[in-house]
Amino acid sequence: MITSLRQMADTVRSSGRSHTIAVAWAQDPNTVGSLYRAVSEGFAEAIMIGRREQIIRTCLETGADPERFTIIEAGNEKTAAELAVSMTASGETDIVMKGLVGTDKFLRVVMDKDHGLLPPKAVMSYVCAIEIPAYHKLLFVTDTAVIPFPDLDQKVAMAGYAIAMAGKFGIPKPSVALIGASEKVSRHFPSTLDYSVMCKMAQRGQIPSCVMDGPVDLFLACDPNSVRIKGVDTPLAGDADILLFPSLEACNPFYKGLMLFGGGELAGMICGTSKPVVLMSRSESELSKYYCVALACLMAATKDKN
Amino acid sequence: MVLKHLSELKELLVDKPTRRLVLAAAQDHNSLTSALQAAHDGFIEPILVGDKEAVQNLAVQYNLDLSGVRIIHEPDTDMAVEIAVKMVRSNQADILMKGQVGTSSLLKAVLNKEWGLRSGSLLSHFALFEVEAYHKLIAVTDVAMNIAPNLQDKISIVNNSVECLNKLGIDMPKVAVLGAVEMVSETMQATLDAALLSKMNQRDQIKHCLIDGPLAFDNAISLESATHKGIRSEVAGDTDLLLMPDIEVGNVLYKSLVFFAHAGVAAVILGATAPIVLTSRSDSDQAKYYSILLAAAISKTE
Repeated sequence: MITSLRQMADTVRSSGRSHTIAVAWAQDPNTVGSLYRAVSEGFAEAIMIGRREQIIRTCLETGADPERFTIIEAGNEKTAAELAVSMTASGETDIVMKGLVGTDKFLRVVMDKDHGLLPPKAVMSYVCAIEIPAYHKLLFVTDTAVIPFPDLDQKVAMAGYAIAMAGKFGIPKPSVALIGASEKVSRHFPSTLDYSVMCKMAQRGQIPSCVMDGPVDLFLACDPNSVRIKGVDTPLAGDADILLFPSLEACNPFYKGLMLFGGGELAGMICGTSKPVVLMSRSESELSKYYCVALACLMAATKDKN
Repeated sequence: MVLKHLSELKELLVDKPTRRLVLAAAQDHNSLTSALQAAHDGFIEPILVGDKEAVQNLAVQYNLDLSGVRIIHEPDTDMAVEIAVKMVRSNQADILMKGQVGTSSLLKAVLNKEWGLRSGSLLSHFALFEVEAYHKLIAVTDVAMNIAPNLQDKISIVNNSVECLNKLGIDMPKVAVLGAVEMVSETMQATLDAALLSKMNQRDQIKHCLIDGPLAFDNAISLESATHKGIRSEVAGDTDLLLMPDIEVGNVLYKSLVFFAHAGVAAVILGATAPIVLTSRSDSDQAKYYSILLAAAISKTE
């Protein structure tokens, strides 16, 4: 079982496999830095798409050897994104990564019906593996970035992605906490209604390979002491692996709080696409960015096996 | 406690104070006969409100014994109902029974805001069946009162029924929320409601029972069938109460149990401050009799 992000990266590094990453508009220092480490460690090859001159200049500024990258010239961020995505869709590359291109523009290309990476009717979401000193294991958190107000189907898909990711970390039956403000079911909180339905779906095997409960608050999900004090009967027992949030506005500040105040590091990626898509906030640390690349390689390896 | 036969209702009434049953618009052969029978067997004390002369004529015609029976003369049906309801409200009677009056008139009186029997809960129908093929009595709700209950209604219906079963000595009745399948599907509202009721039960928002659903009928009553489908459920195969998705399903099940499975049945209306016996002409004499006993068994004891 992988219990830390460092161990996750080590696993990827020692797998002996290398994945090819197409990077859209690749001239920013963070992107170059994180990829250079991955390339140097031998588990990734990067195809940097953008202004050749700028990419080379950034490499030299950050101490990266531009010779370790394949560089493809592109005139603007849109063509860079289109090229990166189409290379990945065609199988030329295994992973696509967003560089300095705007998130909206980038995702629009990813979601393009004809040339994108999103299968018809697939739900696109985001799962983060987060490591914080205050919790005894990794927390898989969704959705920090993509779906503002997930409906029932989307929540079921989100849970499925997080369960699959946890599975890749060697957690065969993760505990999934469906997070609310309390453990009570109330029509005033529509997500608690969806959560009840999901629990039954899990019980009936419609959401397989997990232990699921919700609504629960964060204490019941992650603190055994609270479970004892509150006397709530929950199979999570304060030992959740996965936290599913009712909205992006709840989840995004949660993960940022962990990063900013909790000393957290993360590895996250877009889920639901036919190939891993690496996309992260510009303000993420370089270490987190490196972990994101490693995570995409880990998940790409899953897809290879299939 | 497990009840296997409706006749065990008699045992529940032994050593308990005799319940007073007021029959509203008592000039009705069917209800009068069963009320007097239950009185004769010592389970209730009848109070007849209605047209005294008509009641006495019926007694002569059908050879019924009215000796010692209190009769309040009120020839007007609506007034008779009002008097009967008010007697229950003022604790002069413990059970209300419908006589020669339309169901809607009786319920209108029960729901009267000033002098009716509102308890704050929804009124619901509760039927208790004795079926040979099942190992204990099985309750079914709601087969006659609520047409298309929403989630909130279903919570009330379950609460009414569970309280009733608790009074019959079944402490943690197992409640199966019925669907066409045991899987949750967004296209079938009954399955979503079932999932919610299960979770609310798990969170102690619906107490004193164990709820699982959706369960298809076969999963609910047969452990073998549930196991075959791989369903893990403490309710499956040992259901005490079947919650119907709507009246159409409920009514058909009720009638098929009676007509095809020759089930014995007792039924009451729950949710008012006192149990209401509301039998119909097509019910067997035995069904009416056991309905009275059921009402007596669950009525307040002070």
